[in-house]
Amino acid sequence: MADTVTFTLNDKNVTVPKGWTVMQAAKQAQVDIPHFCWHPGLSVAGVCRFCMVHVQGARKLEIACNLQATEGMIVRTDTPEVKEAHKWGLEFHLINHPLDCPVCDQAGECGLQDFYMQVGKYKSQMTRPKVLKPKAVDLGPRLILDTERCILCSRCVRFEEEVTKTGALGIFDRGDRAIIGTYGEEKIEHNYQENLVDVCPVGAFTSKKFRFKQRVWFLQEKSSICPGCSTGCKIKVHARTDRRTYYRVKPEIDETVNGFWMCDKGRDTIAHLNREHRLPQSQMRIDGKKQTVPTAQALESLRRAIETAGAEETALLVSAHYTVEEYEAFFHYFCDQLGVTKVYQWRAETEDRDSFDGILLRGDENPNTAGLRAAMRRVKGRTVPIKNEIATCVSKKPKVVVALCPEVPFTSPWFQEDLKQLAGISHVSLWTCRYEATEVAGITSWIPMKGFAEKTGHFLNYEGAKRELQEAFPSATAEALSVVEAVQQMAAIATITTETATL
Amino acid sequence: METFARDLREKIQSELTRYETPRSAILPILHLIQDHCEWIQPMHVEGLEREFGLSRVHVQEVATFYSMYRLEPCKPFRILFCDNLVCAMMGAEGVMDKIRSHMASFPTDKCPFSLQGVPCLGVCDGAPAMLVNKERHLRVNRDNVDAILASYK
Amino acid sequence: MEFTKILTRFENIPNSRALATYEKHGGYEAAKKALTQTREEIITLVKDSGLRGRGGAGFPTGLKWSFVPKTADTVYLLCNNDEGEPGTFKDRYILELSPHMLIEGMIIAAHAIGAKKAYIYTRCEFYDEIRWMNEAIAEAYQAGYLGKNLFGTNVQVDLDHYIGAGAYICGEETGLISSLEGKKGQPKLKPPFPAISGYLGKPTIVNNTETLAAVPWIITHGAAAHRAMGTEKSPGTKLFCVSGPVKKPGVFERPLGYPLKKLIFEDAGGMLDGKQLKAVIPGGASAPVLLPAEIETLTLDYEAIAAAGSMLGSGAVMVIPHDQPMMELLRILVNFFHHESCGQCTPCREGTGWLASVVQGVEEKTATPEDVEKLYQIAVHMEGRTICALSDAAAMPTKAITRKFADELKRSIRGI
Repeated sequence: MADTVTFTLNDKNVTVPKGWTVMQAAKQAQVDIPHFCWHPGLSVAGVCRFCMVHVQGARKLEIACNLQATEGMIVRTDTPEVKEAHKWGLEFHLINHPLDCPVCDQAGECGLQDFYMQVGKYKSQMTRPKVLKPKAVDLGPRLILDTERCILCSRCVRFEEEVTKTGALGIFDRGDRAIIGTYGEEKIEHNYQENLVDVCPVGAFTSKKFRFKQRVWFLQEKSSICPGCSTGCKIKVHARTDRRTYYRVKPEIDETVNGFWMCDKGRDTIAHLNREHRLPQSQMRIDGKKQTVPTAQALESLRRAIETAGAEETALLVSAHYTVEEYEAFFHYFCDQLGVTKVYQWRAETEDRDSFDGILLRGDENPNTAGLRAAMRRVKGRTVPIKNEIATCVSKKPKVVVALCPEVPFTSPWFQEDLKQLAGISHVSLWTCRYEATEVAGITSWIPMKGFAEKTGHFLNYEGAKRELQEAFPSATAEALSVVEAVQQMAAIATITTETATL
Repeated sequence: METFARDLREKIQSELTRYETPRSAILPILHLIQDHCEWIQPMHVEGLEREFGLSRVHVQEVATFYSMYRLEPCKPFRILFCDNLVCAMMGAEGVMDKIRSHMASFPTDKCPFSLQGVPCLGVCDGAPAMLVNKERHLRVNRDNVDAILASYK
Repeated sequence: MEFTKILTRFENIPNSRALATYEKHGGYEAAKKALTQTREEIITLVKDSGLRGRGGAGFPTGLKWSFVPKTADTVYLLCNNDEGEPGTFKDRYILELSPHMLIEGMIIAAHAIGAKKAYIYTRCEFYDEIRWMNEAIAEAYQAGYLGKNLFGTNVQVDLDHYIGAGAYICGEETGLISSLEGKKGQPKLKPPFPAISGYLGKPTIVNNTETLAAVPWIITHGAAAHRAMGTEKSPGTKLFCVSGPVKKPGVFERPLGYPLKKLIFEDAGGMLDGKQLKAVIPGGASAPVLLPAEIETLTLDYEAIAAAGSMLGSGAVMVIPHDQPMMELLRILVNFFHHESCGQCTPCREGTGWLASVVQGVEEKTATPEDVEKLYQIAVHMEGRTICALSDAAAMPTKAITRKFADELKRSIRGI
């Protein structure tokens, strides 16, 4: 076929679409070509000169990132000449690099360090003083820049030009005096700052939030989906399971939705998962006093309340933070089996749902509006308009309310105010991941829920695309349940109760 | 207050439409500012963005990349002395020493000259060569340099 | 050696820069003739003439022109008048003698490649020459040699003059393009080559001043007349800039293949009294230095100088006297390239700084004789690794000096 080319890469036949570079082809073929300035999400700069490959018949080594693969081309990445170029390429990169790895956050995930271990491990020839440049520059609410560590690969400059289109970064001066920075003392304020930390192949850009917090080799990373808005970016959650502590979120490559990036708001979606913010165990208000109870007791009490009040006096208040599978189980149990018909959406009173920042962030701050909507359509037999229905719910004066609380605190600042509206209802059962802001008069029980990174299932994003969650980490609190598990447990209690009654 | 005087403004305006893109005008505009205002100040760079829509990052990149732009206050007479191969072989360092003594003869802060070594000026058949502001002097030597400098008042 | 002066034929003619003088000696007749010819005819003629780029690389000019896609709607012609290679002052001389010769050459070249817009890019330190060039452009517009419907044809060529701001790298053709785009003068990745995607992404041809100025003569006198001068592979004449401690430094137009020693010792009058020849840099600061023994029979053409291990480059012949310390020469060279490296490519940015720093160590008395070999090794690994040739330009002379003058360099490190 004319629209593909086949060439040889280290004796391996590789077929790629016409127009691909050797670098792209090597990625696909899983042949490692070390590089610093090339980034799959940015234009080709070709300046680090590290991705040198040998092309049969060429006068000199070529850079793989700007070399188009052509039919029959014979490329090697492992000749002595290539290895020599790597060794010296690394030496050149390290000449003015401070080599302060022991105090650098990037250590453990640093391109320079990795390649040093791979091709180097030799004593540097460089014995002269290094060029001194500004260190620890405060570049924005989330960013610190160390221009001495910078290897001038220009990835960050290209990111600002091509992705955020702010063009906020430049390279000033020339030669080895060149310095990355903003104009004057200007700060980078946009919502994509931490991508600069991600694209930086060394520790020049570091995250203020993550700075000096944790050595990266202690972290485990697992795939997940950002619950911060309806885009549903694919992410990696980094945590220490031994400490049950979440440290950071990074984007995971997903060509169809978020490409290589995610926004800064999305990076803040893990804080609430840590133990200190969690509802540790189920609680109930008994005789006006809040007490820790076994989850079974809280669920049984709910079950009895529904029985007493009747399904028609029971309402479900549901936020769009849960998975399609959770809604399915929830509605199956409460509506199909128990016969509850009062189902209400719970979301921000005012929201600019259709707004979009042109990159990733959407005004709908719920990860599964589409999933909830579809589930409600099934239950109600009609499509309901998307809006906050808590007032309607209260106006119907239900005796029992089961509330699936919004999970991510910073996208639901209205949460506590809304809760106050439920004060007069005789039994309110909050199913919640978070602990903070749930201390409101009139709540009967609190059931701890798992966070998005602790359960399987999927969200439907703004365009209805399936966004798969996996159980990345065990929950920071052992008692936490997914809605599916909570419903199963409640159904089991119900069965026992029924059996007891028959006896 | 407007950043640029009216005549300078008009010149900047005409440079902006002279080339295929406004960005191409950055180099000529910086020359204009330097000719009018002696040196390029931060307020100029910011004014170019505010009043003419040129990115301050782009302008600052250019201003700092090219060595003939002055980003600091300067003396009335700026000596750019070639210290490259040919001029060096023809005695540039000795002449520059002479210039330094000439400059030292002024009371502190009263010296109207600054001296800077620059790469080849492209007049090696007249080495050693120097520019004083925009005037070129060839075959400058220890004997004639004082007289040349004396003509700048 | 028989030859006709092409580029310097206005030497000794009073008021040579004026349009009237130029016209009186047949000026703009070649353009008039060329504009009645097809683009292909001109390109073929220039190819046949064997004219090669005079900026340093020696690439065949007609061939370069032929790379422009015939169907391109917008094409640019740029004249590289940046003349920053230390030791070079020939393009300046063309502007001093006959700026109209350059304009005429540009009209013809623009027509040949289908460019309606052309720019001359001149370094800003050439204050007088910039003024002369501007005057000539104004005269040419006044006389109808620039603008629309030239010589009664439908050919349009507009010419503007763009002034640099102090950066050697803008003499590199894609660095020049970046600069004209109002950016830092950083060379662009190739491919794509400028003939396909250059100024603002449009097909662009960048030619040196001397190359373009030779074009009118070739149109008038034909390819054969041009080939009759010079060597088979390096036809025509070239401007040679002789500088250093010689009696008559200056620009000499000579046929390619001209003996180097004759140029230095006869045309340039030989060494100043009391000076002996120690070495020659034959083609600008980036050209490796040659020893007297190496230039005995050396001729000035691309092939012969390459065979001798150096390059013809811009034709800047720098004569080095016996009392010139080579460490000092090396210091100036590496400092120059360090100062001028644009900073994009790591091996050049860091390599030039490293070279300069090692040499600085000599001054600081911290250098060791082993540093001579280190300089050589750094240079070896800077070569052939970068986007443009500046890294090579720093590496090549460093390699030559550290090899050919190793003992002297080591002695100066030891302080003896």
